[in-house]
Parts: sequence; structure tokens; C-alpha cells
Amino acid sequence: MKLSTFRALLIGATILCAALPSGAAPAVPEAAPSTAAAAPASPAADAASPAASAGTSAAGSAPGTSAAGPAGGSAPVTQSPSAADTRALDEEAQSLKKDVVDLNRDLYVLEEELLYPANTQVAVFLSMDVGSFFGLDSVELKIDRKEVANYLYTPREVDALMKGGVQKLYVGNLKTGSHELVAFFTGKGPNDRDYKRGASIKFDKSIGAHYLELKINDRQHRLQPEFEIKDWGE
Amino acid sequence: MRRIDECRRRLVALALLMASAAAVAASYPLIGQSAPDFALRAFTGDNVRLSEHRGEVVVLAFWSSDCSTCGAELAAINRSFSTYRTAGLTVFGVSVEDSRRHARQFAGAHRVGFQMLDDPTEEVSRQYAVDSLPMVVLIDRNGTIRDVHHDFGPQDEAGYRAELRRLLDE
Repeated sequence: MKLSTFRALLIGATILCAALPSGAAPAVPEAAPSTAAAAPASPAADAASPAASAGTSAAGSAPGTSAAGPAGGSAPVTQSPSAADTRALDEEAQSLKKDVVDLNRDLYVLEEELLYPANTQVAVFLSMDVGSFFGLDSVELKIDRKEVANYLYTPREVDALMKGGVQKLYVGNLKTGSHELVAFFTGKGPNDRDYKRGASIKFDKSIGAHYLELKINDRQHRLQPEFEIKDWGE
Repeated sequence: MRRIDECRRRLVALALLMASAAAVAASYPLIGQSAPDFALRAFTGDNVRLSEHRGEVVVLAFWSSDCSTCGAELAAINRSFSTYRTAGLTVFGVSVEDSRRHARQFAGAHRVGFQMLDDPTEEVSRQYAVDSLPMVVLIDRNGTIRDVHHDFGPQDEAGYRAELRRLLDE
């Protein structure tokens, strides 16, 4: 919870920083002159920033005024700089959006790494092959007799699974050693009857993330669905 | 003079009424927050997940067979649903009932066009802080809880409609 708040705050801060007027941009190279790499970079940044600010700061300041000198004061504002400004602003907004998306992804990865370290992580996936003999309704998952997940499926989710989607049903932490996973599948079986089946597996968790996959297949010769758990190990 | 007093009294009563309504809305902790997602079984039809209805205005009507005004409220909401369903309105009735049999009977007796959902563990009711019935939660197209209504009287239907129109127009 705290991590997600932290993530939201970071994204908010990024948006705020980027939303600052571009006139503030030259302050950045000045603020970090301590590193050797920053020193040669700053002239380039300074060189680049006027070019950028020519497009953006004019938009940020009054669009009706011009810094071009006395001629700018008397001449009416033409339409073309405004269009260019809009385009520059649009590009800036797009790059900002991309930055936010990238940051969000990085923070998500960081959150996953912190919450589920690789040495204790166990992840359970669910996939479905064909599925014409079974209409999935819900899956209940127990690890060492403790319920860890109970997922109810909507028709859209079942469609996605039948099209080849793989769902990350559960991710959690387990100590090293022997464990048992039990999965109960409920839904509609052949002839539209209520259907509930279980599958279980015993697995040894060692150091490193452990992956398991619940697979729902059609057993054509029996005209029945088949439920299996595949241990992908580490 | 008497007329002025009467008018003043009415104005005070109206102000008190509005203040109490605002207090109810303000006391609801989830207003302005993202609506908690859930997946529930419907009494008839497919399972429902709230997040799949992002982009629609969603009304959650919590009901119980013990509640005396729930039936009238569901009927009023059903009328609004019939009018605005094509404009992007989705309604779910959510049972807050200890007895599954009673809930099923109630859902069967009140023929409505929207789905009635079963919340056997009352987890969703807890998530939405349901403290009295009937209770209606209005969720906008962005998935944010915008308003909540407790109780129901015949005069409330017009208010519901106006509010739904406003949300649908956004």
C-alpha cells in the first residue's frame, strides 16, 4: 500500500516538474555542476535549451508579445508561430506521457521485486486450451491447506483465456521446503452440468522463484475436460 | 407578516434538509475515490466484474428483502435504466442478505432489466461501507464514486434522474 502511494507521489512529482515553465530548465545544469560529466554536457544543454525555449517559453509567456525587438511590439501576432508552439507543446506533452508510463513500469517492477523477492517467490499461472467441454466459472487455490486465491471469471476473461491468454492467478512468498498446491475448478461441464474438479501437486521450493501452471485441456477421446498442474520449477 | 414568517420557516427547513443531505454525502468515506473493484455472481446470467464497465456510468443499488423501501427504489432505478441504458448507464443490484433463499426470492419477485448480484460473503458491502438500506452508489465513467444516497422516497426519483443525466453528459 505504501509502495503504491509512493509510486503515485513520484508520478505526481514528475508531472509537476514537467509542468513547470520551460524557463526553469536552464537551472538544471547549474544545479548539478559537481560531476565531471555534467560540465561538458551543460553547454550542449544550454545550447539546446534556447532552441527548446524558443518554441515553448513563448507559448508559456504571453503569446501575443514577442521578444523579437521593437518590430515585434508593433506588428500583430501571426498565426504560424502559434501553430508551431502548439506542435512543440504537443510533442512535449507526448514525451512527458511516455516518461510517466516508463516511470510507472519501473516502479511496478521495483514494487514486485520488493514485495516478492526472487528467493521466496511462488507464482501460479492459469491457461486454457480449447475449453469446449468446460465453461470456467471460478478457481480456488490453496497452498498448504490455506486458501490463497479465489477468482471468479467473467465471460470476457474466459474468452481471453480461450484465445491463448495466460493469467497470473497468484503471486506470493513461500519458505524453502516441500509444499502442496491444491486447485479447485468450478464451472459448467459437458451437457451444461455443474462441474467441480480438483487437482493437486506437491513441489519443492528451493532458492529462486518457483512457477506453477494450472492447465485446463479438453480430453477429446473421453469428451471430458482435463485439469493438470505443471511445475515449471525455477 | 405571517406569510414572511412561513416563507422564512420553509427556507430554514430547506437549508437544514440540504445541510443534512450534504452531511450524509460528506460522511461517506469513498466519495471522490476510485470505486473498489469486485467480481460477483449474478442470480441469473453471467458473472460481473466492475472494472469491465469502466467508461459507463454505473449505479450500484444495495438491497435486502427486509428493507421496506428497497423494492420501490429498485423499480424507480429500473425506470431510469430503461431510459438511459443506451446512453451508457449500467445498473447492478447487490444483495445484502444473510439468507440466500430470501435473496433469490426477492430477486425473482422484482423483475428488473438489470442484473441482480449475489454477495454471499458481504465483502462488497463492506468495501462500499454499506451502513443502511437502501443505499445507492453512483460511479462516473472514470470509475470514481461521485455520490451516495440513503433511504428512498417517491420524490427522490426526479433527483436520481437529474444526477444520472449530469453524469451521462460528462
